[in-house]
Amino acid sequence: MIDYSALLYDPVFAELGVEATFSAGTAGEVAITVIDDTRAKTAVVGGAQMEVRSVGPGAFARIPELDGKGISRSDYLDAMLTFNGRAWVVRSYELRGSPNGEDLGLVRFLLKEDT
Amino acid sequence: MTDVREQILARLLEVVAAIPGIRSAYRNNVDLTSEQLPAVIVFDSDEETLTADFLSKHPPGSNSVVQMTPEIVIAEQTVGQVGSALSVMRRELIKGVLFDPQLIQIVRPPNGTIYYLNCQTDVGWMRSMHGALLAHFVFKYSLKPADL
Repeated sequence: MIDYSALLYDPVFAELGVEATFSAGTAGEVAITVIDDTRAKTAVVGGAQMEVRSVGPGAFARIPELDGKGISRSDYLDAMLTFNGRAWVVRSYELRGSPNGEDLGLVRFLLKEDT
Repeated sequence: MTDVREQILARLLEVVAAIPGIRSAYRNNVDLTSEQLPAVIVFDSDEETLTADFLSKHPPGSNSVVQMTPEIVIAEQTVGQVGSALSVMRRELIKGVLFDPQLIQIVRPPNGTIYYLNCQTDVGWMRSMHGALLAHFVFKYSLKPADL
């Protein structure tokens, strides 16, 4: 049985990951590693007559690392995530699953600007 | 400054958030997770001024009657039959909107009114049976440009 965390996710995060801080509620800041997944995003609006171009900020994190540092799924929404010089708020998230099970996979945080 | 449209939408969010059993209530949020369900979202949606010939006979800035149709989505997931769960929340939604004293006061009958127009449903499978019910209500109110 392949250990996807040991053979895939951990080496990838070691290479592409960046340092981040995750803070939810009154729990304080927790250091984690994320992969920056900010993507170009275009909204077609105004009755499909115009385009608004921006970015869809996002970040991948490893659920085992989050669990190990006391961050549970109920902490995700509205948490602050700071990495690569910017601070974001988690507005939603996407569980990515894993061949070893959902709880050993990745989560993609969908982010919004921190006001 | 009086913005009846904004007053309606703001109050509508308060009304739907009070539906029994609703866990999350948002305005114009298009990204949810299953952990936020059952959820209700108020979408500002569209409005139009009634009767084009009315506009042709009156100077710019005249008062007019506007019909707005905000969209309200109730989303839920259940181990059992999601349709029944949606029906319960639909009942509470209709009662809550049509009989809310503040909404009635905002639209100002008899020129203004509120009525339930229709609903559409979507179902599917995620971790359990997922369903969403989109309800349309019509809010008719007097638009007074001078008050904006």
